[in-house]
Amino acid sequence: MSTLTTANAQRDFRAALRRRGGVSGDLIFRLLAGAAVVVAVGTIGLMIVDSLVAAAPVFRAFGIWGFVTGLRWAPSFAIYGALPFIYGTFVTSVIALLVAVPVAVGIAILVTEVLPPHAARPVAIAVDLLAAVPSVVWGLWGLLVLVPFIRPIEQAVAGSLGQVVPFVGPPTPGPSYFAAGLVVAFMIIPIVAAVTREVFATTPRLQREAVLALGGTRWDVVRQVVIPLGRTGLLAAVILGLGRAIGETIAVTLVIGNATRIGGSIFAPGFTLASVIANEFNEATEELHPEALIALGIVLLAIAVLINGVGVAIRRRFERGLARAR
Amino acid sequence: MPIMAPTGDGRLPLAAPREPIIRLADVNAYYGTRLAVRDVSMEIRPNAITAIIGPSGSGKSTLLRCIDRMHEIVPHARVTGRIEYRGIDIYDDAVDPAAVRRSIGMVFQQPNPFPTMSIADNVSAPARFNGLVRGKGVERDLVERCLRAAALWDEVKDKLQQSGSSLSGGQQQRLCIARALAMAPDVLLMDEPCSALDPVATLQVEQLMLELKRAYTIVIVTHNMQQASRVSDRTAFFTLGEDGAGHLVEEGPTGQIFTAPRERLTEDYISGRFG
Amino acid sequence: MLADAALVLRPTSSARRARARLVVGLAWLTLLIALVPLVAIAGYLIANGVGVLSPAFLLEDPPGDLSAVGGGIRNALFGTIEMTGTAVAIAVPIGLLIAVFNAEIGGRLAVGVRFIVDVVAALPSIVVGIFVYEVVVVAQGHFSGLAGSVALAVIMLPLIVVSTEEMLRLTPRPVAEAVRALGLSRWRSYASVLIPTAFSGIVTGVLLAISRAVGETAPLIFTALGNNFFSADLGEPMQALPLLIYRNALNSAFPAARDRAMGAALVLVALVLALNVLGRWIVARRQLTGR
Repeated sequence: MSTLTTANAQRDFRAALRRRGGVSGDLIFRLLAGAAVVVAVGTIGLMIVDSLVAAAPVFRAFGIWGFVTGLRWAPSFAIYGALPFIYGTFVTSVIALLVAVPVAVGIAILVTEVLPPHAARPVAIAVDLLAAVPSVVWGLWGLLVLVPFIRPIEQAVAGSLGQVVPFVGPPTPGPSYFAAGLVVAFMIIPIVAAVTREVFATTPRLQREAVLALGGTRWDVVRQVVIPLGRTGLLAAVILGLGRAIGETIAVTLVIGNATRIGGSIFAPGFTLASVIANEFNEATEELHPEALIALGIVLLAIAVLINGVGVAIRRRFERGLARAR
Repeated sequence: MPIMAPTGDGRLPLAAPREPIIRLADVNAYYGTRLAVRDVSMEIRPNAITAIIGPSGSGKSTLLRCIDRMHEIVPHARVTGRIEYRGIDIYDDAVDPAAVRRSIGMVFQQPNPFPTMSIADNVSAPARFNGLVRGKGVERDLVERCLRAAALWDEVKDKLQQSGSSLSGGQQQRLCIARALAMAPDVLLMDEPCSALDPVATLQVEQLMLELKRAYTIVIVTHNMQQASRVSDRTAFFTLGEDGAGHLVEEGPTGQIFTAPRERLTEDYISGRFG
Repeated sequence: MLADAALVLRPTSSARRARARLVVGLAWLTLLIALVPLVAIAGYLIANGVGVLSPAFLLEDPPGDLSAVGGGIRNALFGTIEMTGTAVAIAVPIGLLIAVFNAEIGGRLAVGVRFIVDVVAALPSIVVGIFVYEVVVVAQGHFSGLAGSVALAVIMLPLIVVSTEEMLRLTPRPVAEAVRALGLSRWRSYASVLIPTAFSGIVTGVLLAISRAVGETAPLIFTALGNNFFSADLGEPMQALPLLIYRNALNSAFPAARDRAMGAALVLVALVLALNVLGRWIVARRQLTGR
C-alpha cells in the first residue's frame, strides 16, 4: 500500500503543513512592517503638529489672514507679514516656468520627434544630468558667474524697455528675482523635460502615421497630434515643475539679493518664503522671530501641498484619458 | 453622387487605362537587416481595384507601405529597388516623401480620426495645413464633397462639429476615407480597411470602393479572399517564403486568379489548404 | 525636386519647409539653452576648483576664519559621509518595510500610506529642516549631527519607498508564482526571494536617494548647523560638504573662501556624479543580464 496511508507518514505530513516557516516569524514580520509605517507616519505627524504649535503664537498675534497678507517684516519691532515672501516666491516661480517650460517642450520634441533613437538617449541623459547638480553649486555658480553676466543685460533692459513697461525697470543691483528665477529654471528643466518626454512618447503611433500619410511634415505631426493629445500631461509636467520651483532654497538665497520688501521690478532684490527662512533662522533672536519663520514654513508647506494635490489630480486625469484612448 | 475630380488639383490628365500608374521593379523591403519582402515586380493599373491577398506575415502591408513611403517611418527600415508613380521614381533622393504621400493616400486598418478635432475639421484640416484650401467657404464645400464621396454625408451632416471619435467604427473608417479624399490623391492605398468593422460597415466600405474606382486607383490589402473576389479587378497573391520574407507568387485578373490560377501555391491558398 | 516630379507630385511649399526648419531649429536652440549652464558650471568648477584640490585639501580642516588661506574640507567630507551613512541606516530599513507593507497589505491602507509618502516627497527641503528642528533639536536642546541625519533620512525615505515598491511590482511573474506555489511564509518569501530578486533595482534606488541627500543643504542648516572644527560626534553640531560650500559662498568676497568653495563644490559634484553613474550602470547591467 502507498506509504502515504501509514499513520506515521500521515502524522509527519500534517506536522509539515503546520510548520510552514514559522507562524511566529510571520507575525514578527508583520509587526515590524506595521511598526515601520507607524513610526514613519507618526514621526511626520509629530513634526507637523510640533511646528504648528510653535508657529501658533504668531498666527494668534496677527491672525492667519493678517499674517499672510502682512506687508511688513520687521523683526526688531516684532512685526511680521508674509506677503513680500509670497510675492517673491510667486514672481521667481513664474519667471522660472516661463523659461523652463518652452525649453523643456523643445527638448521633448527634439528627443521624441526629431532625433533618431541612438542619438535621443545620450541627449536625454545629458539633460537629466542637469538634475544631479546640487542646489548649492547652482547657487555658487549663479552668484559668481550668472549674476555678473546678466547685470549689464538687466541694466540695458531696465534703461530702455523698463522706462515704459512696468516690472522691468530699475533698480538693478545684480542679485534679483530675475536671477533667482533663471537659476531655478535651469534646475527644474530636467524634471519638466523628462515628464513631457514621457507624455509625448505616449502619442499613439496610429495618430502620428495618420498625419504623415496625409502628407504632413514632422512639424505637422507635432502641431496636429502630439501637442493636442498631450495637453493634459503637459499641464501636469508644468505643475510638477512649479512644485519644485517654490521649494528651491539655497540656490535662490545666494542670488536673490535678500531684501525684505516687495520689489517693484523683476530686477530688484527680494526674498522667497524658502530663502528668507534659510537666511534668517540661525540669527533669529528677536521676539517671535523664530516662530514667525516657522509660520512662514507652514505657509510654504500649505502652498506646496496644494500645488502637489492639483498636480496629482491632473496627472490622474491624463492617465485616465490614456486608458480610455486605448 | 458627385465624385471628386481625380488627380491632384486637376492638373494631371486621367492616366491611360492600359498603362500602369504604379510600377514596382525588384522591390525589397527591410527592417534593419531582416528582409521582409523579396523581389517584388508588378504593376498597378489606373482606375482599377488591385487586391493584395495572402496569409498573415507574407509582407502584404509592408509592401503597401512602401508605395507611399510609409515603410521608412520605422527606424532602420529601408527599401531597395524601384517604384515608379506616373514615371517618377518616388525613392529618388530629390523627391520629398511628404509630396509622394499627398498624391498616394492611405487608409489604415484601425480607423484613426483625430480625436481632438470635429468631424468637419478631420476632413478639412489636412487639406488646410497642406495649403490646398483657403477660406471658410471653400473649406465647407470640400468637407461636404468629401463626406458625400465617402457615403457619410447624410449620416453626419447635422453633427459636423461633434468630435470625430463619437462615430461608430464603420463611420470612423469612412471619415478617414473622406479625409484621405480631401487631399485629392491619385491613388488610394487601403490596408485591411474592413478588418476592424462589422459586416454591415464592411459592405458599405466595399460599395464605396466600387464607386471610387471610377475616379481613383485603389490598392487594397486584405486577408479576406471573398472580399478580394467581390471588389477587385486584379489580384496579387503573396506568400511567406522559407527565408522568412514575403514574395509575390502570382498576379493577374481577379477572375483568372480565383478560377484558373497558374501557380500551385495560389491554388492551394484559394482552396483553403493553407493560410 | 526633379523637374517632372514637380509637375506630378505636390512638393511642400517653401514657406512650409521654412517653418518646419524653423521649429526644428528652435528645438535645437532649447537644447542649447539647457546644456550651456551645465557645460558652464562644469567648466567653471574645473577651471577654478582643480587648482585648489590637493591631498592636504581633503585631509585638513578649514581654518576658523573663512577668509584665511589654506586648510581643507576634512570635517565636511567626514560629516557628509557620517550623516549620510546614518541616514541610510535609518531610512533604508524603514523604507523597505513600508514598501513591503504596501505590497502586502494593499487596499485602502496602502493607498493612505502611499499618499502620505507622496506628500513627504513633495515637501520643500527647508520645511523638512524646520520639522526636524522642532522635533529633534528642540528636544535635544542643541544642534547635532543626529538631527541632520534624521533630516536627510526624511528626504531619502520617499525615494526609497517608491523605488522599492516599483521594483517589487516588477517581480517577474514566474518568481512571484513560485513563491506562492511553494507555500513560503510571507517573511521568508520576502527575505529569501522577493527582495533579493529586486535587489539591484533597490540598490539603484538607494544610490539615487543618497546622491540626492549628499547635495542637500537646506535641511542641514538648522539641524546639523555646521561646525568649523572636526567632529565625528553625532551629538554635536557637524559639518557637511554642502554646508561648507554655502558658508564659504556667503563669504565669497574673500578669495580664500571663494577658492575653498570651488574646491569643495568640485568634490561634491564628483561625488554626486559618481553615485548617479553607479546607479545608472547597475540599471543598465540589469537590463542586459536580467539580474
